[in-house]
Amino acid sequence: MKDPFNMITCGVGGQGVVRMSNVIGEACARTGLNVLSGELHGLSQRSGSVVIHQRIGKRAISPLVPYGEADVILALEPMEALRYIHFLRPGGTVITNTALTHPPGETSELARKEIDGYVSYDEVVQNIREMGDLIEIDALDLAIEAGNALVVNTVMVGAMTALPDFPVEAEEVRKAIEVSVPKGAVDANLKGFDLGIKAVNE
Amino acid sequence: MALKDVMDTEERDAYMLTNEAVVRAALEADVKVVSFYPGSPQTEILDTFEKVLPHMDDLRMEIATNEKVALETVAGASMVGMRSLTSMKSVGTNVASDALYSLAYTGVKGGCLCLIADDPHCHSSQSEQDGRWFGYTSYLPMLEPSTPQEMADMVRYAFDLSEEFGTIVLIRTTTRVNHQSSIVRLGPLNRTPFEEISWKENRRPYITVGEAARQAKAVLMDKIERMKRELEGSDLNRIVLFDGSELREIEGNEEGPSIGLISAGPCYLYSIESLMKLGTPMKVMKLGVINPIPERLVGEFIKDLDRVIIVEELFPYIEGFVKGIAKDVNPDIEIIGKGSGHFSEALEYNVPIVTRAIAGVTGLDLPFDHEAHLEKAGELASILPARLPLFCAGCPHRATLWSLQRAIRDKENLFLANDIGCYSMACLEPMSWSDSLICMGASMGIGAGAQYAAKEKVVALMGDSTLFHAGLPGIANAVHNNDDITLVILDNAVTAMTGQQSHPANPKGAGGFDARKIDIEGVLKGLGVEKIVNISSYDAIANIRKVKEAIDHDGPAVIISHQECALYHFRNYRHRGGKIVPFRVDKEKCEKAYNCIRDFMCPAISIDEVDGKAQIDPEICVGCGVCARLCGYKAIGSTAVDMGGEDRPYIEVDDYMELAKGGGSQTEKEEGVQKEVSE
Ligand SMILES: Cc1ncc(C[n+]2csc(CCOP(=O)(O)OP(=O)(O)O)c2C)c(N)n1
Ligand code: SF4
Repeated sequence: MKDPFNMITCGVGGQGVVRMSNVIGEACARTGLNVLSGELHGLSQRSGSVVIHQRIGKRAISPLVPYGEADVILALEPMEALRYIHFLRPGGTVITNTALTHPPGETSELARKEIDGYVSYDEVVQNIREMGDLIEIDALDLAIEAGNALVVNTVMVGAMTALPDFPVEAEEVRKAIEVSVPKGAVDANLKGFDLGIKAVNE
Repeated sequence: MALKDVMDTEERDAYMLTNEAVVRAALEADVKVVSFYPGSPQTEILDTFEKVLPHMDDLRMEIATNEKVALETVAGASMVGMRSLTSMKSVGTNVASDALYSLAYTGVKGGCLCLIADDPHCHSSQSEQDGRWFGYTSYLPMLEPSTPQEMADMVRYAFDLSEEFGTIVLIRTTTRVNHQSSIVRLGPLNRTPFEEISWKENRRPYITVGEAARQAKAVLMDKIERMKRELEGSDLNRIVLFDGSELREIEGNEEGPSIGLISAGPCYLYSIESLMKLGTPMKVMKLGVINPIPERLVGEFIKDLDRVIIVEELFPYIEGFVKGIAKDVNPDIEIIGKGSGHFSEALEYNVPIVTRAIAGVTGLDLPFDHEAHLEKAGELASILPARLPLFCAGCPHRATLWSLQRAIRDKENLFLANDIGCYSMACLEPMSWSDSLICMGASMGIGAGAQYAAKEKVVALMGDSTLFHAGLPGIANAVHNNDDITLVILDNAVTAMTGQQSHPANPKGAGGFDARKIDIEGVLKGLGVEKIVNISSYDAIANIRKVKEAIDHDGPAVIISHQECALYHFRNYRHRGGKIVPFRVDKEKCEKAYNCIRDFMCPAISIDEVDGKAQIDPEICVGCGVCARLCGYKAIGSTAVDMGGEDRPYIEVDDYMELAKGGGSQTEKEEGVQKEVSE
């Protein structure tokens, strides 16, 4: 196992980034794995950018992943994956949700004709590919298939679990999901999780 | 984390945030009275206690009006003999410090802890204040943890220390410790019942003035000396060896390398990781006690070294002590820190920064060329638009500020004294509008001076929580002196920016229990404000005239803009069965005037790339309907019409229920719960 296994989890405030990292932390606690996370709480509710550093393993010492050392960037929004791309290690993997969320500032620039158009998905992923491998997940589609559009983040956790280097067993992550999400939403979350795994394995 | 981890009686490992570990450890230490005012990065301590409170009848909690009141509250409980705890953000300590310095003199009885959470890098603060000086200048003991587990251990220990010496114990953190999650070993949770203590039987004076103060100072200085002796031997301060591959104890007569490193808090973690990367042997001293500095121990550590590296953020605080100690024990030692130019006094550190400095000192090659990597990544990311903090969809502040801007027309014509809260974002796009933004409650004081000095009119902003925190003295001052200021109070029912905690103008107190709601207008009348204008925030167009009228008034005038914080309001609305009724753009009518986008910037509105017309994301829109009022072409309307309703906002539960009688809302409540958890 790679020690420490370094992750950057990111997205837009309100997408459930913190919950994603909590599920992984909970799974580590259950497995007896050491885990360390660096978060920033505060302004996230206002559609701001959210990033969480998470490190698993005995040699996880400090809470922040150094630049160029993340094994994986897990992004709920593609622009956020690119925003934190400096954390990715050469040859690391980016798993991103495919749906762009354009910041209102960008819309406003467009309305004032200061830019010609929104940044496109293709431009964003093209630049991500310059830095590492890319796995694209249409998480909303899979979440809807799982029965609840809101389990997008669990789909993404599933996708990460499918990486060969990911140090926690899928079964342990499932158990962590069971205890972390509201009772009424367990089924949809587990289904979403499995679909996320499947999407990467296929 | 989950509540179960904080309250579980089973002794096991749990994944939790340092701020949650504080709560867990304090509960284990049988804390009885807690009081807080929210402020990042320590707010989750308050939030977690609030979640615990309804489950524990042996705990008392208040959300105080400000940090000073919070500290006084826990000190009062401690004087009588109960264990108590408060915490505050760096700048909150400025507010509390008047009480803090006196309480150092009087001492306390029941274990009493005060956490001070600094914020290097100003992630969410107005200044990079270094709270370590509070410990030093008040003669109070101060501990500093690096990890959640250390925090838990320190909190438990600090209660005992506090009682042993009859003193408040300070625990200092920085953002990267407060917001660090890791595995914490849960200790035994044995709560005792809450029982009032007889003051009669425990009475002793807590007085500091004149002769009493002079005597108290002597006692205080003796106390800190005794603590220094005791804490020298504490295992909170550790000396270890990094032997090139791992961290271990130094063997009895082992000489080890002639270079050492001293650090504390998260910088200790960055240092260890850097050493591991570089593989360079070094003696390492970790300070867990940062006041009183264990001078004898530091002296022994540096005595035989040629060089010592000091890794600490902000002030060269430890460095100053080391320099002083070195004069006596090893004047020739080379001290590497801020004074030597190796480290900055600004911003926070991380592993790359510390690695680079250590590599520079030891002459080692950097294991990884961060600079080149960052440059390439930066270039690739430069195509991205910024994602700045922004008012939420449905935020009442956005509407109020929009009206204010229209009422003034030209922002050149006034001095806008902003204050601290979500509305501070008036200084960001799209308003980009504020002349001063200083600290909580400052807008009225700054305004008082500006109205004398400036030719222009003065408008001050203030949130409702800020009003009770530190705003009232400024208002009394303005009324008494008949200062010509128009104050806009943004009454959104909660302390929104920090996570929608309650405050005195909210009918709920800590833990959601009923509390007495204070009427803001009544307070202002009591203070003698003669011109009070009430507006409803969402009436953006109608409010322009009302705001103008208040500004035209000579002397102090107050506009109270009422509408609950959108996050708070719509969360409650969903819990009570309401379903969001979003607005939408009628593409036929949209003329691409973009009134709803320019100067408004709601996160729900974007431009359809196909036809260039505005579009509203129904997942983000909360249906406040303000944008519809701004559209000159009446192109925006409510989806309520599809349910047989009217073309207007449906944002009150009762109102919505009327609408829903014709249609269905089935899964929304469940979705609401999930949404809540994921926020
Ligand atoms: C002395 C001090 N304590 C706490 C804070 C943290 N803080 C920043 S904004 C804010 C909320 C202010 O609430 P309110 O005035 O009601 O404005 P709102 O966020 O609700 O718009 C707080 C408590 C601070 N900046 N300074
Ligand atoms: S948290 Fe509330 S007050 Fe703050 S921006 Fe969001 S809606 Fe507005």
